Amino acid sequence: MPHDHHYDPLPDTELRVRALESILVEKDLVDPAAIDLLVETYETKIGPRNGAKVVAKAWTDPEYKKRLMENASAAIAELGFSGVQGEDMVVVENTEGVHNVVVCTLCSCYPWPTLGLPPVWYKAAPYRSRVVRDPRSVLLEFGTELPASTEIHVWDSNAELRYLVLPQRPSGTDGMSVEQLEELVSRDSMIGVKLADMPA
Amino acid sequence: MAALTAEVVPGLVSGGASARVTDSDLASKFAVGDKVRMKNINPTTHTRLARYVRGKEGVVNMHHGVFHFNDVVAHHGEGHQNCYSVKFTMRELWGEGYSATDYVYIDMFDDYIEKLS
Amino acid sequence: MNSIHDLGGMEGFGPINPEENEATFHYEWEKPIFGWFFSLFAGGIINVDVFRHAIERLGNQHYLESSYYEHWLGAFETLLVEGGTITTEEIDAKMAELAGETQ
Repeated sequence: MPHDHHYDPLPDTELRVRALESILVEKDLVDPAAIDLLVETYETKIGPRNGAKVVAKAWTDPEYKKRLMENASAAIAELGFSGVQGEDMVVVENTEGVHNVVVCTLCSCYPWPTLGLPPVWYKAAPYRSRVVRDPRSVLLEFGTELPASTEIHVWDSNAELRYLVLPQRPSGTDGMSVEQLEELVSRDSMIGVKLADMPA
Repeated sequence: MAALTAEVVPGLVSGGASARVTDSDLASKFAVGDKVRMKNINPTTHTRLARYVRGKEGVVNMHHGVFHFNDVVAHHGEGHQNCYSVKFTMRELWGEGYSATDYVYIDMFDDYIEKLS
Repeated sequence: MNSIHDLGGMEGFGPINPEENEATFHYEWEKPIFGWFFSLFAGGIINVDVFRHAIERLGNQHYLESSYYEHWLGAFETLLVEGGTITTEEIDAKMAELAGETQ
């Protein structure tokens, strides 16, 4: 784990957390068993594999894709993904001429049920400041180079809508199963900083 | 007993708490395709009107419906407004040298927007 | 409010430096902070908007010098104290007590 200045806690952070934890439990405002279950849920059950299922289904089921584009929250809930920070979803589709990328410039809004908790870079100042002004340089840092003719559409999720990018299905994947297709859908491709992976 | 026990966790996580107001009869003030300008206001209180779009001109792209208005809920008030996706060119936001065919979309409430005639 | 949280368009923050195979949490102390969001929400002590605003009020220097979950920690402390649920004296005393135990 890199320990650059973005990461290292302030000198009294750990002690402060232990103190607050102790007080909150003493006052019966926090149940430690609930905290443990929340942490386990977001570490093991809620993550970008959920979003990949949505994308792979949309690639292979035109009727599902239609529902997804018309009412994303309902279509995503069909697959069992719903809830906190994904209550009101919008899916934006990459096409031959349009590439979408999502940010929250004011804080760190992110579609938790489909992507899990956001990575550090998504929450940090470099990405949030730059992607709304110079998205092509940001995409290049992720190794994503798009033709000048491709329009870039940046979605700042500053209110209560949460955005998921539907990447383009890579070429050469015609015979692949839904499960194989899911493997090509990375977290970063659903944020929009990368394309879906090419098949090996 | 703490309000959140382990038993409550799964329902809270999968149910969430939507900020959408489904029973409002508030009419939308702007229509998709309207040319609009974001107000140049600088409240010292909470707002979701990001600085970089203040005073900038764009086009209403989607009407999301009616949502709790963050600016007042952040101060323990109650209120709801229409929320719209508004589309801006990079050129409009950042000026000369920026693309007229790359775009930023941001979600704006009624109070942030004025219609251009 | 026009504080440092409103980052769109600023320059000078350097490269993005994504981490490969990043863990959900980087430190054990981040985990309880994450959970408190749900506990305090369920308890009616915070909503997402007062929480965001509390982060905006942390002070620009602190905002840039601290990490994401430290922002959350600062916001919870602010809101718990403002709401009268706990006092800063209680936190200071508990920190002193816990620091003494570990020496």
